[in-house]
Amino acid sequence: MRALIDLIIHNKHWFVFLLLEVISLAFLFSYNGYQKSVLFTTANDVVGTTYNVISSITSYLHLQEVNQDLEKTNEQLREEVYEMRQQLEAIQQDSTKRMPALPSKYDVVSAQVINMTIHKANNLITINKGEIDGIRPEMGVICSRGVIGIVYMTSRHYSIVMPLLNVNSKISCRLRDSEYFGSLIWQRGYANIAYVTNVPRHAQVKENEIVETNGYSDIFPPGLPIGVVQHIGDSPDGMSYFLRVRLFVNFSTLREVSVITNYHAPERRLLEQMAEDPTQKDSVLNKLEKEKKLEEQQRKADEERAQKEQQEMNRIKQQLEMRHSASAPSLATEDNKTNTDTVR
Amino acid sequence: MNSVILIRMGRLLTMLLLQVLVFNHIHLLGYITPLVIGYMVVCFQRNTSRTEILIWGFIISLLFDIFSNTAGMGAASCTMIAMIQPKLLNMMAPRDSAEDITPSIATLGFGNYILYVFLLMFVLHGCFYLLDAFTLMDWQLTAISIVGGSVFTTFIIILIELIVRTQRNTVHHT
Repeated sequence: MRALIDLIIHNKHWFVFLLLEVISLAFLFSYNGYQKSVLFTTANDVVGTTYNVISSITSYLHLQEVNQDLEKTNEQLREEVYEMRQQLEAIQQDSTKRMPALPSKYDVVSAQVINMTIHKANNLITINKGEIDGIRPEMGVICSRGVIGIVYMTSRHYSIVMPLLNVNSKISCRLRDSEYFGSLIWQRGYANIAYVTNVPRHAQVKENEIVETNGYSDIFPPGLPIGVVQHIGDSPDGMSYFLRVRLFVNFSTLREVSVITNYHAPERRLLEQMAEDPTQKDSVLNKLEKEKKLEEQQRKADEERAQKEQQEMNRIKQQLEMRHSASAPSLATEDNKTNTDTVR
Repeated sequence: MNSVILIRMGRLLTMLLLQVLVFNHIHLLGYITPLVIGYMVVCFQRNTSRTEILIWGFIISLLFDIFSNTAGMGAASCTMIAMIQPKLLNMMAPRDSAEDITPSIATLGFGNYILYVFLLMFVLHGCFYLLDAFTLMDWQLTAISIVGGSVFTTFIIILIELIVRTQRNTVHHT
């Protein structure tokens, strides 16, 4: 204790010095606006940083609520978007707008992607059009940016498409400028990268060359864009090029697609079979006829259904008119009734 | 003891008035004001209690601050030189000098005295202008103020010293 007091007395000038300096600085900061403001901005920086850290920690605690809120809002917005899209669709039912590059001799059916995966090895896309709309397996599926894939399975109202992003997909293609053929395959991994194999070694391939369909496969018309050559490599056996292609289609945001419907692939294949093996001519012809019959039946069924629908509509219309001609005060309730009727 | 305090009071008032009435109106290059109040600290003889030096330096600079609207800046810097004055005087004083040597041209020698005054003034102006600017953004301007101010003030203090001492000497002689 005594030593401490001694120390203080011995060094009292230090304490005086510090005291006086503190007083001076107190004066400095309390009577000079500029220094005060600087001090307080630095102080605020410190305080601000502290608060920032604290809030960044505490915000995690509310993350669940925020997430739920966002999810709710998202759902609402999604519903709204869906409605809007339906309305828009109803207004502009013009398939030519979707695929301007497509030659006019091809009929297309517009469809929407309702389910898809892009991260698996065997990715599939489900679209909301099916046999009723004239979609059959092995029809080509495209969108405004390029080729998407091939119809794989169909049901009455839905179809499953095997996109380029499937390890089993193999689409014949060509390079737009040098016109060499190859086949487009995909390897599991990136959703925007595919590969072209079987391009001969003597081909003069350049980077940034466009890869397009060649029209030899009976699925796509020639000249539909697929992607652009990003890197030129060699295949493992060294016999051909192995080109890395950046796809034009952004599969992760894919929504509107078109199916090419009047490309008679099965018929053509049958014909080719017939040419190769004349002995089976009869069976092939039978098959063709069967298909024709099937189509006929289908068409008849469709027509009948359409007629029925028309009749139903007429009946409902008549009912409506009758009820409207009833007395005015009960109109509202009557309207409700008719609504329920129509729903039924 | 009383006479010492009186002398110091007189010196304090003189320097304060000089500073406030004359030197506060000198603006070298437009922005350098010499802080002649530092002479108050310069004059303390060796063996003065350090606390005393601190308090006297603090008082004169606080008064100066009040007159020139620089609250705290002068006080902080003058307290600073009051703290280092004894050490510096010890370093500058000749080895065989008296214990209670009063710093002057005669006692320290011309060169040493100039260096002694200049170093104190440099610290004084350094603290003062750094606190004034309170930023290193325009450090060139601050540096010019510090160097210019300390050189100019050293010059003035040497002049005062010469005038006062010679007068005192003549008074003593007569």
